[in-house]
Amino acid sequence: MDTPLIRGIGLGRTYGALTALADADFAVMPGEVRGLIGSNGAGKSTLIKILTGAVAPTSGSVEVKGETVRLGDPSEMIRRGVACIYQHSNLAPAMSVMDNIFLGRQPTGRFGRIDRRRQRADAQALMARHGITLDLDAAVGTLPTVKQKEVEILKALALDARVLLMDEPTGWLSAADVVRLHTTIRGLKADGVAIVYISHMLDEIFTVCDTMTIMRDGRVIAEAKVAEMTRPRVIELMVGEKLARDSAAAARVPRRPGGTGEVRLQVRDLTRTNVFRDVSFDLHAGEILCITGLIGSKRTELMHVLFGADRADSGTIEVDGRPVAFGSPREAMAGGIGFVPEDRHRDGLMLGLSMTENLVMATLSRFCRALLLDHRAIAARSTRSIAELAIQPPDGTKAVRLLSGGNQQKVLVGKWLNLGPRVLILDEPTVGVDVGAKAEIYAILRAERDKGAAILVVSSDLEEVMTLADRIAVMVAGRLVAIHDAEAVTMARVVDEIGGAA
Amino acid sequence: MSEIESVGAHRRNFLKSLALGSAAVGAASAGLFTDVATGTIGVPAARAAGNIKMAFIQWQPHTVSSAWSKGIEEVLKTQQTVDYRLLDGQNKVEVQVSLMDTLINEGAAVIFLQPIDSVALAPSIAKAKRAGIAVLTLNIDATEPHAAHVEMNHYFGAMDIAKALGDKLGGKGEVAILNAPPGIIIRDQRTNGFVDGLKKHHPGIKIVADQSADWSRKKAQDVATTLLAANPNLGGFYGVNDSMALGAVDVAKTKGLIGKLVIFGNDGEKDALESIEKGELTGTQYTDVYQQGRFAAAAATVLASGLVPATAFKQQGKLLMPYTIATKETVASIQPAQRW
Amino acid sequence: MTARSATLALLAFFVATLAFFWFAAPRFATAGNIENLMSGFSFVAILAIGQAFPILLRGIDLSIGAIVALAGMVAFDLVLILHWPGWLVIPAAILAATLAGALNGVLIVRLRLQPFIATLATLAAYRGLVYSISGRQLVPGLSTTPIRDPWITGLESYLDIAGTLGLSDLITLPWVPLSFFVMLAVLAGFQFMLGSTRFGRDLYTVGGNVEAARLAGIAVGRVTIVAYALSGFCAGVAALLLVARLTTATEALGTGMEMSAIAAAVIGGVSLSGGIGSLYGPVIGAFLLGTILIGLTLLGISQFVQQILTGGILLAAVAYDRVLFLRRQRRLTANLGEEA
Repeated sequence: MDTPLIRGIGLGRTYGALTALADADFAVMPGEVRGLIGSNGAGKSTLIKILTGAVAPTSGSVEVKGETVRLGDPSEMIRRGVACIYQHSNLAPAMSVMDNIFLGRQPTGRFGRIDRRRQRADAQALMARHGITLDLDAAVGTLPTVKQKEVEILKALALDARVLLMDEPTGWLSAADVVRLHTTIRGLKADGVAIVYISHMLDEIFTVCDTMTIMRDGRVIAEAKVAEMTRPRVIELMVGEKLARDSAAAARVPRRPGGTGEVRLQVRDLTRTNVFRDVSFDLHAGEILCITGLIGSKRTELMHVLFGADRADSGTIEVDGRPVAFGSPREAMAGGIGFVPEDRHRDGLMLGLSMTENLVMATLSRFCRALLLDHRAIAARSTRSIAELAIQPPDGTKAVRLLSGGNQQKVLVGKWLNLGPRVLILDEPTVGVDVGAKAEIYAILRAERDKGAAILVVSSDLEEVMTLADRIAVMVAGRLVAIHDAEAVTMARVVDEIGGAA
Repeated sequence: MSEIESVGAHRRNFLKSLALGSAAVGAASAGLFTDVATGTIGVPAARAAGNIKMAFIQWQPHTVSSAWSKGIEEVLKTQQTVDYRLLDGQNKVEVQVSLMDTLINEGAAVIFLQPIDSVALAPSIAKAKRAGIAVLTLNIDATEPHAAHVEMNHYFGAMDIAKALGDKLGGKGEVAILNAPPGIIIRDQRTNGFVDGLKKHHPGIKIVADQSADWSRKKAQDVATTLLAANPNLGGFYGVNDSMALGAVDVAKTKGLIGKLVIFGNDGEKDALESIEKGELTGTQYTDVYQQGRFAAAAATVLASGLVPATAFKQQGKLLMPYTIATKETVASIQPAQRW
Repeated sequence: MTARSATLALLAFFVATLAFFWFAAPRFATAGNIENLMSGFSFVAILAIGQAFPILLRGIDLSIGAIVALAGMVAFDLVLILHWPGWLVIPAAILAATLAGALNGVLIVRLRLQPFIATLATLAAYRGLVYSISGRQLVPGLSTTPIRDPWITGLESYLDIAGTLGLSDLITLPWVPLSFFVMLAVLAGFQFMLGSTRFGRDLYTVGGNVEAARLAGIAVGRVTIVAYALSGFCAGVAALLLVARLTTATEALGTGMEMSAIAAAVIGGVSLSGGIGSLYGPVIGAFLLGTILIGLTLLGISQFVQQILTGGILLAAVAYDRVLFLRRQRRLTANLGEEA
């Protein structure tokens, strides 16, 4: 145990003004399984991407077996035996399983012809060694996701990797498959492979890992042996003392589970085949309901149905007691539902237009006077919104793309508030927003709530959920497993439920 | 063969070919060919069985080619035994070649062809000849000898335009040519005719610009505007076809230069003649294109009779169309029925 | 597998179309017509093969028509001005076309341009280059001089396969144009490369999932440049076949051919969403288009209707491609849902 197989020194990565990773040191020894944990946006994925060469760091260096490597070049890392199983599929869907396993490295014979026989033999040997069965000729796109994950694992194993990075490898696996994967990991560990295991599931970390690195806000917060850690301590480290402080502060903000008691949105047994099933909940006027869960738990898909972008196969939705079935977002908007999408650049804002134009865009019809736009009224409305939302700088003529992320988000929220929807849905409202702006957005939402708005927030940021929610709903794999009053539930409980351990 | 050398030959052939054309038209209208229907006179049995096929492969849709087609159709309509159709070359040589192949396979009796390129269509013409098909080219000749070639007299026409234009300018000044894109024989013939004509009749006139406007009125407007800006002393334009000349007229109108600029076109289409009557366009070379089509069709009916095998054409006939230079003074003599 | 069954379905449709015209269109079922089909559309098939590479990468190459003209003009100049022997001219013209294609790739990779924009720009640039190097402009008289080099004219020859085999006593079979065999050779070579070499697999990977390709250490930029170079290479081969057929090259050669090639490739099942398709499809697509065009001409259907119909078929192919794409997407989400 002298030289780490892979080592990152002082790694940092910024995206414009956003710091995704700052001064992170990270090392894994041969035969070590290191858990990497932290809430969303903590910088885990960025760290992994730097280690695989997918992204070049803005500072710091990486060593493999003590040798400094060229950064930002995936083929260099592959050559040095660093493989990764990504959270999102990195397979070519139209190609066969066999081709995907050997992506970019097919064994070749004369004239550069691919040696299919050897390829097949190698793949079969690999499958036999790791107890995986796959139809090598099937197109990957036609396989169920579990099988696709297995292809990814085989692809990494086929590299004869010395370092194996696994980003949420069990996200789609059943309990039995997880056990099998863990067996494989132990086998690799015995062979001296260094493994980095990223997971939200603390159970898995405690089962399979030797050591752990805990990250928060782009920094490495703690490193420890698993045997020396307890779960509550891990959670505390993950969310930080700030949350403890914030929760205390938030606890003083009166929670209003159930709001005024008036049901604005009622969802019963909502099902979209093969996506989510039997989702039921009520949203009241004057409350904030947060829906949380892992990526892939189908929260966003549920919102798409509520907003008319997709259709449900069964179940009912009622707004103000009237059953509705929106065929399009346009109908949903007319029916009183507002939706602030997650990707504000793609779906929500006209970046090149001014703040004023963005703020009143959805409500232009209200400012029409005999077919002409009443510019004075528009300016007045815009000025009022900018003041209410505390948008900086308070200049309605400024192009939205010149604003910071937080202020852009405020413009987007303001645009929807101007519509005065019966129900306002926000998908990950504070992704990529700095801490100060986060607090301001929370304050805006609370103020709207106090005025009687019904607000539904989708968030994977537990910190946010614990701070903002009046009630918390947890989604796991397409089901709404629990709804809690925010005051009556602990963070640990929610974490457990999200991981499906409840 | 250079332009100048061929001119003499053109001249010599001119009357002869005109006579051949007129005779054919006369014969056709006199009903000499009506017997073809019964297959009794000089028609091979195979063709008598059904209608004989003729087709015109044009270059691309244009007033000139549609007037030809109209003229051809007029004559062929009198022949109840001829199926005629117009095919479009889409301004692509390979499309024309493919259409030639198809017509050869179909067993057409006569193909009227306005070749996009003189060389590129030559192998197809040779192939048609081998299959016993008579090919008549319109306006643009091919390097492969074939049955007959019917054309306006581009070179001498352009020379006469140069003379008329120079007269209007008083023998001095600057002119610009709105030209066709390079690579086409008639472009060269007209350009050379115009240049030589100025040299001969008005050596004091200078050609200050020669730019392509792609045969198009719209493009010519842009080009003419630029040329006027670059050459403030410009006294006149020669448009290698009427569309481009009319483009220059459009510019002259917006700049209030009507009457000041001398603008000549070429071809003599209806719009150009009307523009001359209005005093906008100065003049154009007018050829009765309907008549050109009728000549071609009349010759075709003779060829289709089968009395002369297509393979016999070691030397092709040339039909040169008469023309006049139409100006405000002479335009009234062109009858409405002759306008196309 | 799905890609193969799609090709078989297309082949079945092609055979059905062939059968329809065989019985419905006069003179369709003749040896001469089949020759026309093979010689008139082999070069389109080659262009479609070339176009398949950019489309497999989710790109497009609009410049191939201009590259055809460029390679054609290079060959023209080398033969008629520099008097190079044909065996040197052929590789030189193909090299020029390949480099032009590679430049497209470099622009797309290095400047991160959209393929549509990059090749639209080079389409104009290459066409301009053709005009500026055109021997037809530089040397008077060349525009009417056919290319007689035996190496090049030899490309336009026909092989009497049936006669060699002694079948011609029994039945009239078409003579097969050499261009058809050139097309088959290009098809065989590139299909081998695409299906059986690592480069081919890499190409599919880059087209199917760029990020996965990058993370697998595939040199995405190099694959892209090679793909566009191959598209240029095919344009060069097609250009030589055309020059042989026309015995000349024109500046406007190849205009609009990118449309036929893209249509043939897409009809041939090369998915516009990338990463899916073989080279058999584009070849069948090219001959399907050819069959329809020739068949409809023989049926006497107007060419404007033909163009509408061609557009309709292309639209149907694109829509079908889209449907397949959506179906794949749906299956993907359904698979994801299985565990839920």
